[in-house]
Amino acid sequence: MLRRRVRKKEEMSLQITSMADIFIIILVFLLKSYATGMVNINPSAGIKLPETQASELAVDALKVEISKNGVQIEGNSVISLKDYTFSGNQIQNNGSSLELASAFEKERKKQILIAKNNENVKLDPRLILIADQKIPYSTIKTVLASAALNGYTDFKLAVVHGD
Amino acid sequence: MTEAIRKTFCRDGAQDFELNLASIIDCFTVLITFMLASASFISIGILDAGITAGGTVLKESVSPEVILTIELKNSQTILIKTQGKKNHSDEIVYEKLSQSLLELKSHWPNLSSATLIAENQIEYQDVVKTMDQIRKIIPAVMLGGF
Repeated sequence: MLRRRVRKKEEMSLQITSMADIFIIILVFLLKSYATGMVNINPSAGIKLPETQASELAVDALKVEISKNGVQIEGNSVISLKDYTFSGNQIQNNGSSLELASAFEKERKKQILIAKNNENVKLDPRLILIADQKIPYSTIKTVLASAALNGYTDFKLAVVHGD
Repeated sequence: MTEAIRKTFCRDGAQDFELNLASIIDCFTVLITFMLASASFISIGILDAGITAGGTVLKESVSPEVILTIELKNSQTILIKTQGKKNHSDEIVYEKLSQSLLELKSHWPNLSSATLIAENQIEYQDVVKTMDQIRKIIPAVMLGGF
């Protein structure tokens, strides 16, 4: 009986100093690996980017995303694809797509308008291509041809840095 | 230790005192949860791939000694074509690509760009993989075929 009473009086204190140490280490690691750049490339769910061994840092440019079901420009759906490919009537004789070319033209006109009103802004020919690794080259060609017709000739391919 | 601090923490005259870490742990937990939720653990980079044709602006350029074109075939082979001072074409397998490019580079040390073409059914991953391989020897690789 006496032992039980003594045990009840003992206060249990959790040693949290070591826990704080662990948290500090995790926090430092996360802060170090946190992407703080201005450029933000977020592929949509289901897109698996191709892997490369060498790549450069991302730049800010017009983002074009090609997935299994469609093409998006700056997050806006422009044209739908059927299993990664354009249907025959969507492609013109010069290899471009009419819908895509008009969407690129719209983006280009926006840039031209901004450049006209602001001397510091220059027309940017860069384009970031965010495409699934299974997309056939014919689809890539159509998208790039449509972009090139509207002055986007400097292509940057978004890739995952593999080991 | 100043008198004020000593009075605050050591009222009973004891030298050691315990810092209350519970609130700090709370802050850390919230921070770590937020960072884990918003962190991305894959590093996305960029591969430069200008095109050989297209666009509205023409740039003045000096013609190179040879123009190198590398074509990916559906038959899992690669066609290497040179045009200019030497017109030649050779069909090789992927494993021999680096070796062939090194040979070309030794013949033409000024060779600094290549055009990569692929047949329609070739997957994007294979195009990028080949481009990555070529860039190790020839720094500027451009996509072509349109």
